[in-house]
Amino acid sequence: MQGLHIHGAAHAYGDNQVLSKISMVVPGGELVCLLGPSGCGKSTLLRLAAGLEILQEGSIVIDDVTVATKELHVPPEQRRIGLMFQDYALFPHLNVIDNVTFGLLGTPKRKARAIAAERLDQVDLADLTEAFPHMLSGGMQQRVALARALAPEPKLLLLDEPFSGLDTNMRASIRQMTLNVLKESGVATLMVTHDPEEAMFMADRIKILGHGGSILQSGDSHEIYYHPNNEFVARLFGFMNTIKGIVQNSMVQTPFGAVPAIGFADGEPAQVLIRPEGILLAAGADNGGVPVEVNSTHLLGHFSVASLKIAKDRNGVQEFFVRVHKEFLPELEGRITARVDPEQCFVFADDGTAPGEPMMDDLNILSSELKTLLSTGLEIADKDGKTAEAAE
Amino acid sequence: MAELSKSFEMECEILDRDHQELMQQIDKIVAVIDGQDGERCANLTPEMIKFAKQHFSREEALLTKVGYPDVEKHAAHHQNLDHKMETILELAAMADANPLAGEKLKSALKFFLADDIIDADLDFKAFVKDQEA
Repeated sequence: MQGLHIHGAAHAYGDNQVLSKISMVVPGGELVCLLGPSGCGKSTLLRLAAGLEILQEGSIVIDDVTVATKELHVPPEQRRIGLMFQDYALFPHLNVIDNVTFGLLGTPKRKARAIAAERLDQVDLADLTEAFPHMLSGGMQQRVALARALAPEPKLLLLDEPFSGLDTNMRASIRQMTLNVLKESGVATLMVTHDPEEAMFMADRIKILGHGGSILQSGDSHEIYYHPNNEFVARLFGFMNTIKGIVQNSMVQTPFGAVPAIGFADGEPAQVLIRPEGILLAAGADNGGVPVEVNSTHLLGHFSVASLKIAKDRNGVQEFFVRVHKEFLPELEGRITARVDPEQCFVFADDGTAPGEPMMDDLNILSSELKTLLSTGLEIADKDGKTAEAAE
Repeated sequence: MAELSKSFEMECEILDRDHQELMQQIDKIVAVIDGQDGERCANLTPEMIKFAKQHFSREEALLTKVGYPDVEKHAAHHQNLDHKMETILELAAMADANPLAGEKLKSALKFFLADDIIDADLDFKAFVKDQEA
């Protein structure tokens, strides 16, 4: 099979076990993203695939050739891989075309320059072959690094946080161009990122790595986002409204009504996680939801965030954060009601380690959670468009 | 016809035969998407999924028979593939008319076979081999 096959890879730095029996396949022409927080071992896995670390357990196969086991270590330069680092690692003293031909050692000079020119044309840099890295923007440097990585026609391309050095506006266009080039080249690609949006945009398959270096879930972006198999995976994609409760008759009570808790025993503590866009608001008309009081609202361009107050029980009021498509002007509306989109609401066991719900009297927590919500780049339009009702 | 790579061999005749059959069925679906076969994805894919489920049952029976200690964990892994199989069937229903669905289906099938089925089975390769020896 073309591509990468890692099976049972484990790695430790001294007593610190960073990867635990990791297995994965990246078929030819496909792009797999390793997504996880800092320190989860994702870059170590990339370095093992590259041959920059010695494999301690398991096996690594590239295009049907075993390149690493406990007893075997094929050096990086013999693995036919392309590498692209976060800082691009361009040679400052070489111009663009010489940076690209550097990876083609052993190829006759004329042929190497022809290949490099072709790759640079592919990334829209055909006019800048004589420029030096310091003369280029971050986006251009990224494209030079991509051209250099692809020039030797690698069997496997390894990308380590390739867009993290770019500003937000440039990132979107460079990401699209990179994806187009990779798909055109048909190379198997393993990419490491801590940015969920980036993983969802780029990957054919996302692998979530948790602390302790094990894979927690594996699937396409839809599956990971709409069917997270545990709390860690769900929270990785941004802020979650959290409601704790006890399962009764296979349901958990929330201020929005009862939510099914399939597979839970009665009496079991559970937590309901609802994405900010999973709370659907309606103005005027009854959408089957509960009346809510809007605490505040902020327009952030193509969406708004709002905080809601709902009477929780006799103990107080609970606050929820909502993301609404377009502008939301509750001050011009009458009665606002809210209901939960079941597709964006998840029930997990409450093992006591998860953070509790934000309460009105805890201003410090509210402020940090609002910051998290505001900084979340994800903007997922709801399926039935009803979150927009309140704004229209 | 494509052969299973060496790194995917279980060295267990029943399982390797099943994996090979799945690969051949998937190759045929991919050929349909690429326009090299006159069949329809909507007909072939449910057959492949049916065979995959039969394979899961055969495999769980074999693991129980040889006393594999993590048989329940592996059965749970099979159950967790339900959602992926539903997605594959949904894409297959559209693939004959919608090229985007066809391309997504090809990608989903590659991962389903290599990553979700065979690579996961390799976890018990050594155990089964030892028991059968």
